Parts: sequence; structure tokens; C-alpha cells
Amino acid sequence: MKIVVTVKVVPDLTAPKSIDPATKRLVRTGMESQLNPYDEYALEAALQLKERLGGDTTVTLLSMIPETSKETLRKALAMGADEAVVLSDNALVGADVSVTARSLAAALKKIGYDLVICGGLSDDGSTGGVPGAIAEHLGVPALTNARHLEIESNAVKAQRETDTGYQVVSCPLPALVSVTMAVGEPRYASLKGIMGAKKKTLAVLSAADAGIDAKPKTELLRFAPPPARVKARVVEAADGPSGARAIFDFLRERKLV
Amino acid sequence: MQHVIEVVEHRGGQTRKVTFELATQARQLADKLGGTAHAVVLGNGAAQLAENLKTYPLDIVHVAEDPDVDLFLIDPTIDYVESVARATGPSVILLPNTMYGRDVASRLVARLDAGMAADVTAFEIESGRVACVAPKLGGVTITTCAFKDTEYGVVTARPNAFPAQSGGKGARVEQIAKPQSKPYVMRVENEVEEASGELGLEEAPVVVSGGRGLGGPEPFATLLKPLADALGGAVGASRAAADAGWVPYSLQIGQTGKTVSPNLYIAVGISGAIQHKVGMRSAGTIVAINKDASAPIAEFSDLVVVGDAFSIIPELTKLIEAEKG
Repeated sequence: MKIVVTVKVVPDLTAPKSIDPATKRLVRTGMESQLNPYDEYALEAALQLKERLGGDTTVTLLSMIPETSKETLRKALAMGADEAVVLSDNALVGADVSVTARSLAAALKKIGYDLVICGGLSDDGSTGGVPGAIAEHLGVPALTNARHLEIESNAVKAQRETDTGYQVVSCPLPALVSVTMAVGEPRYASLKGIMGAKKKTLAVLSAADAGIDAKPKTELLRFAPPPARVKARVVEAADGPSGARAIFDFLRERKLV
Repeated sequence: MQHVIEVVEHRGGQTRKVTFELATQARQLADKLGGTAHAVVLGNGAAQLAENLKTYPLDIVHVAEDPDVDLFLIDPTIDYVESVARATGPSVILLPNTMYGRDVASRLVARLDAGMAADVTAFEIESGRVACVAPKLGGVTITTCAFKDTEYGVVTARPNAFPAQSGGKGARVEQIAKPQSKPYVMRVENEVEEASGELGLEEAPVVVSGGRGLGGPEPFATLLKPLADALGGAVGASRAAADAGWVPYSLQIGQTGKTVSPNLYIAVGISGAIQHKVGMRSAGTIVAINKDASAPIAEFSDLVVVGDAFSIIPELTKLIEAEKG
């Protein structure tokens, strides 16, 4: 079985960020990039399936990133993915949800798949729009927010997280699933994994190779810093009642109680 | 883009405040665009909920109380919404920014070849185009994005960001004909409740959240839950608490968890690492209760109470309950 995990490279949340006023894009130079944390859970879910299924199960990474960022994927290869395909093209710079989903779907058709596993969100754009849109373009089921996955006789069976618990849902392969962090903590790369990753294939695909012709449906007009919060009022509470009173009075002042 | 279609999230006809926020917003936006305001209500309980929605200023509430909507995951919903969207014409499709809303939006982006804007907190009309205001990069920047070259714009809107106002002349309720479709394959085989009756964290107007400082799972139930109940809110947690197994991951707020923007956020024993901050920084008012006055959470709170949460919170809960009478 061929499992493909979509991965994004995102800016490190803790690194300082700035946006270029001319291009209205994030300034990527000098800023540490990392795998989108949500996608590490997708990879973990894929590696767990590979271990359980054994045989000829493979895990391929698919990423739409600038070619200069492709080495970031070595970490995912070191965790245990077998190979990586990078979709990289100047035509795809500034892609929105629509273009990203179309492009990844086109690449998936090109490289083939039985099961696609996605993280639920990206750490930077945070739309959550890409997984379902990929599935729709591929015409396969989109089983989202899975916290546990099993493969049984050419079907996926999943526990799917809801606001109040979970649902048991199954669907035939090929399919796309997105996962939550309840699938399990992403593993660390072993030394052997890190050494082995250097020899794994990291192929680059252009938009033309994948047959992509997509135009964005959104346009960034402007951006601004968030409104500043005034400095906090600090109260040292000698005991429970005085601390409670300080909070209660503050909430009443703000008409929150 | 001229019309506005709200897709209503509900369970068996029970819905949340965000539904009425979006109904109100649908009207306002439709008026600015010179179009009509619609809602789509599907599945078990839809007919009753549609009656309740009539008191909001919508033009048409489209209803299909079709059992397939609940028997199968999402696919029937997408077919019904597509059918309403195509019949209505170029439109903005409004959903709550929740797991459900993102799921539906994601599929519609491809189905309708639409643009998408997520976690939207305000709308603007610029040269006749719809533009959406939304925080990005964990709230580091507030972006304004316009839809272009598309007939449909799919929007997930942040709960608690828009007012809900009833009124209007009473919407017309119309039944949606069952769309032609391939056989549905994602059957919901079982539904398990682990925290029944909980208010959705992403939509709660008040969130009382606990972290490492609580020391174990019990205080979430004995300390935070009663305070959240008194305030009409929900309980959340930091990643440290979820990783320790004290609460399920579905309660985790921050990076790799949920993003919330309640009117009031009370952080109890949470240090306030950046990974937590990105999930709650845009809350209206932030109150921190912490033993350590120098914890990072103090830098983005409105009130910091330095003290022992275990003695403060029961007293606070009593004060709030007494106020309610």
C-alpha cells in the first residue's frame, strides 16, 4: 500500500516574523523553518500504519515548498518516511487554499496513492481548507479529524474526533484522512534514521510536470499588527477570598458578570 | 458575489449562538451587496430549527430533514449546499470556524471552485468585492483578503466576533429537493459521547483553562468546571495538561490544538508559552491566576492575580453564583 503524507514547511512559531510590504508575503530569509507541527502527527499516523501493515507498505512525503526549503524534509525522512516529492515552481508562489489543493491533487494523481494522510491545519495559514479540497478534486472520501486509524480489507476504519467524543467511520480505499494530535506523539528520528535519510530520494516536480494550471481565488489587500493590549493590572492575593474579590470586581467593572 | 448563504451547524436541532451571529451577519452583508440572505439547515431536527431561525432577518431558510445527512459523514451536506449555492447564484457562504465549519468549507472550496477565508472577524466591501479580515500567523498579523476571479467565497467566521440580533419580517422556509449523487460511502457506524452536553470550546463565550500548575486531572472537574458552569462557559487546557493525560486533547488550546476567542479567558496555572498564546491571545479579556508573577502569561493578560488558585477559585465561583441569585 502506498501512503502519501502531505507536509508543509512553516516558519517557526517562536521566531520573530515580518511581512514584506511590497510583496505582502512573509519574509522567509533568516527565519528558521520547520515542518508544520500538525503534519508531524500525520506522518506519525502513517508510520504506525506502516509498522502494523508491514509488507510492501511505503510512506511518501509530498510537499509544496520552495526548492530551497526542501532539506527541511530530511527530518521527516529521518523519522521514517521512505521518499519525498517536492512540488516546487515559481508559478506556485503565493498560492492560496484553492491553488494549493488543486496543485497537491494534481501531484497526487501523478505520483499515485492508496491513502493520503494530512495534518488538520497549517501553523501559519490555519485555514484547515486544504485536506477536504484535495479529496474533492481527487474524487475520494475525506475522512477528517481521525484520532485512530485501522486498515481492514481495503478500507479505512477511523475513530473521528467530535466536540463531545468520537464517531466510528469507515470508507473504502483510496481515501484521504486528516488526523488530530491524539494519534500519538511524533517519534524522534533515530541516529540510524538520520544517517539513512541522507540517501533517500527527494524528487522535485514542477507545476508543468504535474499538469497544474491554477489561479488564486483570493488576494491579500493589506495587513496590520493586532491591537495592543494595555499592561496588565497585577494583584497579590493574600488569601482565597481577597483574590476572588479582586477578580470578581474586575469582571464587574468590565461588565462580564 | 451578491448573495449570502449561511450553513447551520447543529445536532438534532440544537444549535449555538454562532448560528444566530452568522444569520445576522448574512443579512448585513447581503444588504451591502444588494443580494438576498439565506440559511441552509440539514438533517435530523432541521425543520424545527428552521422555524426558530425565522425570527432572524433572513430571506429564505432552505431545509432538508434527510436521514442520510446524519447517517453519512459530510458528503450529503456538501451535495445539498452545492445545490442551494448553484440555484442561488454567486454568493458568500458563511460557516462557523469550528471542526464542522472547516470540514464543510474545505470541500466546498473544490466543489464550487471557490476562494476561502478562515477565522474571519470582520467583513469589508471594496470596489464591490467582498474582503475578509482575519488574524494569521498565530495572531501576529491581521490580514484583509478579497475574493477574486470566482463566483463563490467560502468563509469560516470566528464565533463571538459578530453580534446576534433577531428581527426582520420572517424568513420563508423552502424544502431542498434531494440532489442526485453517487452512493455515499462514509457511513457513521457509531457515535460515542465522552463529554456529553459540553459547550463547544471554540464557540464558548467564556473559557476557564488549566495548566501544569493544577498538578493533576481532578482540579479540572472539581475546580474549573464549577467556575466555567457559573460563568456559562467551557473548560480548556494547556498542552502540558493534555500531554500529561489530565484532559483529552480535544480540550487543548494553542498550537496543534484549538484557537479560541471568548469574551473572557481565565488561565489557571498556565505559564503562557507562545504555543499557548497563539490559541487565545485574541480573547476579549484575559485573567491569569498564577503563583508566579513573572510567568509569561502576565505579558498578555488584563488582570494577573498572584496567589493560590485552589483557595481563590471556589470563593470566586461562590461570588458569581451569588450574583446570579
